[in-house]
Amino acid sequence: MKDRVVISPTTRQEGHAELVMEVDDEGIVTKGMYFSITPVRGLEKMVLSKAPETAPVLCQRICGVCPIPHTLASAEAIDQALGIEIPKAARLLREATLAAHNINSAAIHHFLVAPDFVPEELFATAVDSVSNIRKNVQYVVDMIAGEGIHPSDVRVGGMARNITPFAKERLIERMTALKSDLEAHIELIKNCVAESAEKMGMPEDLGVVNQPLLAVHPTYGVNEFDMDAFSEVLPEAWYDDPEVGKRGCSVIPLINGTNVETGPRARMEKYQGFKGKGVIAQHVARADEMMKNYEACLEALDAIDPAASARADYDPRGTGELGFGIIEGPRGTNAHMAKVEDGKIKFYSAIVPTTWNIPTMGPATEGFHHEFGPHVIRAYDPCLSCATHVMVVDDEDKSILKNEMVRI
Amino acid sequence: MPLGTYKEALSARSTDKKILDVSQDGGIVSALLCYALDEGIIEGAVVAGTPDDDWRPIPTVVTSADEVIAAAGTKYSMSPTLSALKEATRQYGLEKIGVVATPCQTQGLRKAQAYPLTRFVVNKIKLMIGIYCMENFPMASLDTFATAKLGFDSLTDATKMDIGKGKFWLTKDGEDSGLAIKETHGYEQAGCNICMDYVAEWADVSTGSVGSPDGWSTVLTRTDDGESVFKAAVDAGLIETKPMDEVKPGLPLLEKLAKGKKDKNGKERERRAKLGLPLPVEY
Repeated sequence: MKDRVVISPTTRQEGHAELVMEVDDEGIVTKGMYFSITPVRGLEKMVLSKAPETAPVLCQRICGVCPIPHTLASAEAIDQALGIEIPKAARLLREATLAAHNINSAAIHHFLVAPDFVPEELFATAVDSVSNIRKNVQYVVDMIAGEGIHPSDVRVGGMARNITPFAKERLIERMTALKSDLEAHIELIKNCVAESAEKMGMPEDLGVVNQPLLAVHPTYGVNEFDMDAFSEVLPEAWYDDPEVGKRGCSVIPLINGTNVETGPRARMEKYQGFKGKGVIAQHVARADEMMKNYEACLEALDAIDPAASARADYDPRGTGELGFGIIEGPRGTNAHMAKVEDGKIKFYSAIVPTTWNIPTMGPATEGFHHEFGPHVIRAYDPCLSCATHVMVVDDEDKSILKNEMVRI
Repeated sequence: MPLGTYKEALSARSTDKKILDVSQDGGIVSALLCYALDEGIIEGAVVAGTPDDDWRPIPTVVTSADEVIAAAGTKYSMSPTLSALKEATRQYGLEKIGVVATPCQTQGLRKAQAYPLTRFVVNKIKLMIGIYCMENFPMASLDTFATAKLGFDSLTDATKMDIGKGKFWLTKDGEDSGLAIKETHGYEQAGCNICMDYVAEWADVSTGSVGSPDGWSTVLTRTDDGESVFKAAVDAGLIETKPMDEVKPGLPLLEKLAKGKKDKNGKERERRAKLGLPLPVEY
């Protein structure tokens, strides 16, 4: 007998998606399908025909959870589309900003998965630890980029301003003081995951997939993207179940015709020699990566010359070539692409990290009991906040006529 | 009460010759900022500087006594000083900030502090020094005073600018030329005509020349913070004071001008209200 377990929306993630699992008599998942049920993003269309400087300002609003990778990917894409080489100081400021943000975002994820792993007696400690870390790394983002969320000072051509020697010293001091707390946090999370995974009988190979890894840089990003290897298919063509295919909202991005795994574990395996696959390994990799980002942040801060210019002059007319801003966000590779002609944006597209993981996450639940399904999903830290719900409202009395996407 | 809420009114002067050499009057703003910087009460301040010596005020972040002294002196054109506040709290990394502000700017800052609209900006302000202000002129007005009215070749020829004794003064080659204040009317920015605040009623401490003899300033301490910084600077010997009733022309002149501004601009507000024009809320 075949049965279906549907979780809609999947919980303790950012944004809303649905997990459909076909299970056998023992409750073991034989087919897992995960898909986004939030249809509209729209920002890529809003920036069309606007001045190139508009893109980072609008496109950072794609998400309030990881606004920094979106700002940076957008600025980098426009930088390249305008043929700008940003000053070294600007690059270092951007690197420090992203590294600090990625620590923050990993800490947010620890908060989201705490109910899965953190025992009651440690819960307050874990939450305090998350808050403490976030407060400190967000301070770095605030100081360098203007605002912790939706930064105002990441600009096309570099950064609005360099930091002063005083600010540099203060940031290094504050980050240095954070080290022991961060080490303790990483230890705490890894221990909690290990202990509670054992207690709940989580299989060690839960969620193991063997998809190709997508990661372009250990901590920052690049301005190149292999468009020949890249393809997209519509959900109708991807999911076997026509109903799921119809309801799935995001296109399926593929590299060399196959779906990929992106995120902290992919980066850690590709660049840091991390071993291990599956749910537990993903949590461990995410925690360990906090230290890599910490080191990257301090290294960048240390290398910044506060006397140097942090912004390049540029010609806003555009090269007419496609510019790439491929940034390693907390949840994986965030790809923004833009084309600028005659001073106006002619093309804009963003493939956000979770979109890459969507086709990989469903099958990762297969072979295990469906009760582990949500654990598999949360291990990817999916984030679909970039998309919006849609409903149909009566013009006259504002009553809702159609709202079939999500019921919460 | 035309002077707003205040704890104490004193006539005061900096004791530092370096400050008095460059200050407009008693050098109180510079002395307070230098003291607060040295004592770590603030880590920096947002002020109106004139880096190009062309009388055009530029919002400037200062973090040392030398920088304070370099920015000393009144500027008679509008300085969007608060625009530098964000930079001071961000790329400058300052946690405790002083601001030198006109009455309208202190109002804006207090509103920003009262509403949850700014994040980690106005809560970092530890000292708000208000300066007396009757009205302010766009740069084009100052150019007009210098060239069309006083016969200068250029505003940049002026080595000193001052308003006092009923006149707008420019000094060139050691010689003072005065323009009756009456002559400047109509050249001020329009918003100044509906402002009801002459003495920066919302500052921590307000100061300006009116009420005190030449080379001295009249100080109004308003808040606990303002009072404690001022008193500490006096105790440290950086500022000398005299009671207001021992100096001429004294507090009555300050009260007269403050009330005069309220009366005159109150009428203008009524006139504008009758015309159905929008008016900012007065607190």
